[in-house]
Amino acid sequence: MSAKIELLSQNLRKHFGDRIAGLQTALGEITVDIDAAAYPEAMLTLRDEPELGFEQLIDLCGVDYSAYGDGRWQGRRFAVVVHLLSIAHNWRLRVRCFAPDDDFPAVPSVVSVWNSANWFEREAFDLYGIVFPGHADLRRILTDYGFIGHPFRKDFPVSGHVEMRYDPEQKRVVYQPVTIEPREITPRIVREENYGGVKNA
Amino acid sequence: MSIEGILQEGFITTTADKLINYMRTGSMWPMTFGLACCAIEMIHTGCSRYDLDRFGIVFRPSPRQADVMIVAGTLTNKMAPALRKVYDQMAEPRWVVSMGSCANGGGYYHYAYSVVRGCDRIVPVDIYVPGCPPTSEALLYGLLQLQNKIRHTSTIARASVIAR
Repeated sequence: MSAKIELLSQNLRKHFGDRIAGLQTALGEITVDIDAAAYPEAMLTLRDEPELGFEQLIDLCGVDYSAYGDGRWQGRRFAVVVHLLSIAHNWRLRVRCFAPDDDFPAVPSVVSVWNSANWFEREAFDLYGIVFPGHADLRRILTDYGFIGHPFRKDFPVSGHVEMRYDPEQKRVVYQPVTIEPREITPRIVREENYGGVKNA
Repeated sequence: MSIEGILQEGFITTTADKLINYMRTGSMWPMTFGLACCAIEMIHTGCSRYDLDRFGIVFRPSPRQADVMIVAGTLTNKMAPALRKVYDQMAEPRWVVSMGSCANGGGYYHYAYSVVRGCDRIVPVDIYVPGCPPTSEALLYGLLQLQNKIRHTSTIARASVIAR
């Protein structure tokens, strides 16, 4: 572990103590788990505390853990993952916050802390159905107008439920139920022993 | 049309069909409808190396001035109403060139939830150009095939035969 990572890790423990649910260091990166209740205040601290100094939110995304580890995952289903950058200290941090309720996932919005979270939270809402209380304009951002469902959830079929075609009678494009068969793709792996210096399991 | 011996007399004769088709094939103005990476290849075709201007093909920014629509790229469900609207705004006669695997049949995204499985579900297509993306030569060849197709239509009979 480099000195910089060590210092950031110490600063995090100093300012959060037991307010963080978990702290892992892997591959030279720090991941911090924060409970949803402590999340908004913790994010403010991350930005405003000079010893942490995370001025920028680089990315915010959702995660669906329902098929994680072939179903052996015991924790909550949905999480919001935030990547932060401190330009002053030149270090980065990954913050993960699990949504307490699996059926109605909700995580407080951080738009008031970092403005750049606005469209990222709309994206996470669109694709995973995670609601962000405190977001002023939580609309879908990527999928079609009137789209139903959240396509990045693991239980959403890849081919979706509807497809589009032009209707000559109505003279406009219409949705119809999807007509193609769902298919299961099993990749066929042909690889000799010790390919690329890696032992086959 | 043969012009031997007649040219000295100061005039040539032809059929109205051939004259009209000569005009149409000589100035196919495409509507620029770039949707994805195919659009880059379409731009290459229009630039100096392949130079679509040589064939009288000049990109137009407005569907009202266009004869051909080149659907270059992945057509998503969200874009499909806009594509159809642009097509409806084009004046007849109009043609559609479907460029690349995605526009031809969904291509890589055939099984995806958000992509139209071929732009022929939205607009009638005249020429399909295969490739992912097709090379500039391929698109050029497709446009020349469209010229051939136009040459082989007879405009006078067209209205009664084809009802779009």
